[in-house]
Amino acid sequence: MASKTKGSPLPMTGAKALVRMMEDRGVEVIFGYPGGANLPIYDELRQSKIQHILTRHEAGAAHMAEGYARVAGSPGVCLATSGPGATNLVTGLADALLDSIPVVAITGQIHRNLIGTDAFQEVDCFNITMPVTKHNELIKHESDLVAAIDGAFYIANSGRKGPVLLDIPVDVQLANYPHDLKAKAILPGYQPTVRGNIGQIKRALRALDRAERPLVLIGGGVEASGAVAELLSLVRKCRLPVVRTLMATGVIGADDELYQGMIGTHGNSLANRLVNQDADVILAIGVKMSNRSIVKPELFAKKAKLIQIDIDPAEIGKNLPADIPIVGDIKETLRDMNRRIEEKPICGREPWILGKHKRSTTMLPKTDAARVMELVFDELSKIDQKLHVTTDVGRHQMWANHHMTNPKHLPLFTSGGLGTMGFGLPAAIGCWFADKETPVVNISGDGSFMMNMQEFLVAVEHKVPLTVIVLNDFRLGMIRELQNLKYGKRHIANDFNRDLDYPLLAQAMGGWGETIVDPKRIGPALKKAIQSRKPNILCFDLELLDQRANLSLKEKAG
Amino acid sequence: MQSTENRHVIALEVEDKPGVLTRISALFSRRGFNVESLTVGHTHQPGVSRFTIVVRAGEAELEQIRKQTQKLVHVLKTYHVLDREVEPDERMKAIMAASNQVQHAVMREMALVKVHYDAQSSRQINHVVEVFSARMLHWSGKDLVLEFSGTEAKIDAVFKELDSVSVLESVRTGKVAMSIEEEKVDL
Ligand SMILES: Cc1ncc(C[n+]2csc(CCOP(=O)(O)OP(=O)(O)O)c2C)c(N)n1
Repeated sequence: MASKTKGSPLPMTGAKALVRMMEDRGVEVIFGYPGGANLPIYDELRQSKIQHILTRHEAGAAHMAEGYARVAGSPGVCLATSGPGATNLVTGLADALLDSIPVVAITGQIHRNLIGTDAFQEVDCFNITMPVTKHNELIKHESDLVAAIDGAFYIANSGRKGPVLLDIPVDVQLANYPHDLKAKAILPGYQPTVRGNIGQIKRALRALDRAERPLVLIGGGVEASGAVAELLSLVRKCRLPVVRTLMATGVIGADDELYQGMIGTHGNSLANRLVNQDADVILAIGVKMSNRSIVKPELFAKKAKLIQIDIDPAEIGKNLPADIPIVGDIKETLRDMNRRIEEKPICGREPWILGKHKRSTTMLPKTDAARVMELVFDELSKIDQKLHVTTDVGRHQMWANHHMTNPKHLPLFTSGGLGTMGFGLPAAIGCWFADKETPVVNISGDGSFMMNMQEFLVAVEHKVPLTVIVLNDFRLGMIRELQNLKYGKRHIANDFNRDLDYPLLAQAMGGWGETIVDPKRIGPALKKAIQSRKPNILCFDLELLDQRANLSLKEKAG
Repeated sequence: MQSTENRHVIALEVEDKPGVLTRISALFSRRGFNVESLTVGHTHQPGVSRFTIVVRAGEAELEQIRKQTQKLVHVLKTYHVLDREVEPDERMKAIMAASNQVQHAVMREMALVKVHYDAQSSRQINHVVEVFSARMLHWSGKDLVLEFSGTEAKIDAVFKELDSVSVLESVRTGKVAMSIEEEKVDL
């Protein structure tokens, strides 16, 4: 990344240049954790209008940056020191890479003279983070700094979005240099295609028009490119039935008659049948065709013509061959499609399938706790106000993704690609920093919650209206379920054997909590919690709730 | 997407940045692409280096290799190059017609070989030197260092011929390739 310098600006430190450039790019908040190798940046942040949020672990900082990015639509920024600070960011970076979330991560690196000497807190951050970032740079010369920062923000938030990391040695942060803050990154090898090829778009529309059983399959790309409105406009105008992957939960309402469910391992049998057997043309939009969604590639779209829209050319034909590929930004491409349809309407007949999606068709094992989880999500869905909702990873995630129905709470924000337990709590906090009008809710399991529960303190410190819903089964529910299904019910390492007093924990951290054991309390407790402006943890005791729900069923029957 | 694996040559033009070799080799290893040889060097353009990579891959995988490497920010261009001495099949011809990312190329490889030169081996070595127009780079009084260059098939033949003499050390560069435009017409 070279830079062009006009005139010669006054020297300033690298740290100052970084902070100024972030201000210029509209960065409002940075999630970070200090250490010896990034203190010059912190020193500069003292005088900046950028708010710094001190997390309790760097993993929290990375996930908060993801949450922020999702709501703000601009890159979330996280900051860590060298060595352990950098390695603690790795999971969050990988999460952002797999779910295409724009994050700019800054790590301090030790003094340039010491690199390669196994100095204190030295790790090879550049090579460790290379495979978990969209792009990364180790800044070896102060003269490269400005262009690298400009490039980082541009690369993170353009094309297929993703995390970019800059590793900045402490002496580069301190060096006085005439940084030209307006210098641009020159990136001749990076030219994301934005507009889809119009010839391909026409072919796609013709194929849809001729189809007897057309189907739209949507993935995380729709939300990532901010194309929800364009998508809905297309499917409503053409009356196209829609199925989705996990990453598109709530893009189209579960009650919409066009909606036919979710595909994949944890999806609906109907939706899987539609893609595998029934449809004759499938329009796949922003779907990476991973093994969780396309369980049997040899069956998928076997009888169908596949149209695929993706901004990343490498997604086309990666796991499945596409008949009509369109490389381009989804929002732009759908706009082009909608414009053409205005002029020349297509699919002028009644949809071949409507309103067939039923809850009963999910492929999730119906275990004891399932019914109680459904009760909780039904009550949550009744809370009729805007919420940002995140999940963690496990059974609760899969159930939430099927049973959350209130459009004001959706699209759900979940870790789909990496499946990172501990994602949800910090991600929810990050969402709030981008939209302080809206309360945030994290749906979690006891296992996931404990992975990053220290970040609850950040919510308390900043008075974040956060509700953590712990669906407590006292164990790693999904692991137990796998052991039941695939390992002959041979259980190991799924039971915690020791419960946690969640209300007490919440109280100890300055929030409040409640343990819910009576099904009648589910609705009121949720209402109270979400209306409370104080961070809280609701622990739903799935065992007791299940027993009592059973009892009341029996009473009613008797 | 299953197709038979063949050897293919990929040429990459890259920005000459620190770590670019690691980025490329890390990508190949992460995606499970099979590399047979890899060469890299500067080009006439300042700041631009060129990789020639021989891979073993099926057609779909080859396409992925090209697209995934093209995604790296520092990669400027990627080509699938075809040895002009190998007649492309129908499919390949169709692909070539549709894409400017497939090009015909001339390819060469170089080898350095150190052999023990004595009364016993001298005849065979002299023969190989003459037939394959080797250059003699160094003579220690006992050992001889020879340079061969040519097509991969020629270098293979050199080693076959040297089977009977005692080779002390040897190294092959792997292929380098250069695209040739006009060859496209006489397909
Ligand atoms: C960091 C991490 N470690 C391990 C796993 C594997 N894993 C997937 S689900 C699961 C259990 C989750 O338990 P919990 O959060 O209590 O949710 P539940 O399944 O009980 O709803 C585990 C251990 C993971 N996804 N992430």
